[in-house]
Amino acid sequence: MLIEAVELVKKFDKKAAVDGISLSVGTGESVALLGPNGAGKTTTVNMLTGLSRPTSGKILYNGKVFSADDNNIKREIGVVPQHNNVDRDLTVEENLIVHCKLFGIKDIQKAVSGALDFSGLGDHKDKTAEKLSGGMKRRLVIARALLHNPKVLFLDEPTTGLDASVRRTLWNFIRSINKNHGCTVVMTTHYIEEAEMLSDRVIIMDSGKIAAEGKTKELKNTIGKYALDVYKENEIETIYFETRHEAINTLEKITEEAKVREVTLEDVYLKITGRRIDA
Amino acid sequence: MNGIIGVLYREMRVLKSRIYRNILASSVSPLLFLLAFGYGIGRNSTVGQTGYIDFLIPGLIAMTSMNQSYGISSDINISRFYFKTFDEYLLAPVGRWEIITGEVIYGIIKGLIPVIIILIYGYIAGMRHIPSLVMIPALLMHLIIFSLMGIAVALKVKNHGDQFAVNAFVITPMIFLSGTFYPVEKMPLVVKYLAHIFPMTYTTTLIRGSVIGTEASYMLNFGISALIAGFLFWLCLYIVKEMEP
Repeated sequence: MLIEAVELVKKFDKKAAVDGISLSVGTGESVALLGPNGAGKTTTVNMLTGLSRPTSGKILYNGKVFSADDNNIKREIGVVPQHNNVDRDLTVEENLIVHCKLFGIKDIQKAVSGALDFSGLGDHKDKTAEKLSGGMKRRLVIARALLHNPKVLFLDEPTTGLDASVRRTLWNFIRSINKNHGCTVVMTTHYIEEAEMLSDRVIIMDSGKIAAEGKTKELKNTIGKYALDVYKENEIETIYFETRHEAINTLEKITEEAKVREVTLEDVYLKITGRRIDA
Repeated sequence: MNGIIGVLYREMRVLKSRIYRNILASSVSPLLFLLAFGYGIGRNSTVGQTGYIDFLIPGLIAMTSMNQSYGISSDINISRFYFKTFDEYLLAPVGRWEIITGEVIYGIIKGLIPVIIILIYGYIAGMRHIPSLVMIPALLMHLIIFSLMGIAVALKVKNHGDQFAVNAFVITPMIFLSGTFYPVEKMPLVVKYLAHIFPMTYTTTLIRGSVIGTEASYMLNFGISALIAGFLFWLCLYIVKEMEP
């Protein structure tokens, strides 16, 4: 395993933001931590990247215990934080150069030029970062995180706040990092569609714990293949079925407005936690 | 050394983008103090055998360069709370001491900008003394201490309000009680003791001694300043090690 987390706990003022989670990520895998705000996803990523120290538990990279001071392991990690933490006073190129210098990259010109090509920001390299659009800033942050050729890339809510078309572009960008460049990807998201689109495996988090984990299809199969949404006066009741035929049979027997659809990860989350992911 | 180089590169690019604003900020306030204290109050006064302008100029150098080097706290504070760029340093494979050293060198460079401006003001205003070479280590010690203090405050406070509180309750009293405008020896006993809590009292004595040649005990003041700098460096290391996003 490339990454293993064992019984990780992170407490803030005695309250556990992450409460004893264990997870593993294999080389070349793409894993999504899915859950609502406050589920402990960002805190988990912060611990896995050395930005935050676990209250207890341990993290291993390739079997070696990781701590925030382990610079050899930190060289293998790229991080795209939730916030576009670019230097607004610096140009796109200068932002990339700072990262090269911090990571001791020898051929800075080559690395920067490669990152500008990859991110499609070559024509904007002399612009200060504050003049970039939200999507361009995001691409800059991702390109910067890849400058030192990390083995694993952590993306914290990579498309939050971006419009649908920019989100699609970024999805292609992230998929290509994982599938074409072989970089292991660990991402957090509260978008079901994003988790389904980009990850080989999903870890559902709720209240600092892992509620479920597995391949998208496996997770969905745990509750059934089809869902029947029944629109009651104050709520939507959802019933799950193994076959479409069973769902339609039930639909024909009820009097309220209802519709049949395929099961989604949202249903898995709802079934496990009793809440919707955006609730 | 990658951390020092990376941090310094970043900070120097930011400084370059704000250099005119910075020079202006370093020019206006000492000029106003020079007009108010030097001309308004002490034009024909002396401190011991020294003309007040000659006494005041090293104080203004100490105060303004301190403001600049300690002022990196605002930069760090903004990069921590607003833009989160400080996290980039923490995620990089660099020693925490390298981050601090890079910031200190930036603080020293920033703090040196007003020194030349104030010396020019001083000679225009009629200052007669010429600084000795001791001014170089004295200024370095002064700027190291206040850069470190700026880093420690910026990384320890929880928000901008806390930062303003430190400025109001520590930095401003320190400026007025550390012998910047008046000799500490002439102050009431309680204030005199209080003044010796502030590191600026020792570094101002050193800077003034290097300019007007007062009988400052260089060994004692350098010794105390070095101890303070060492403690602050250790403190910064500890804070950076313990800090969380």
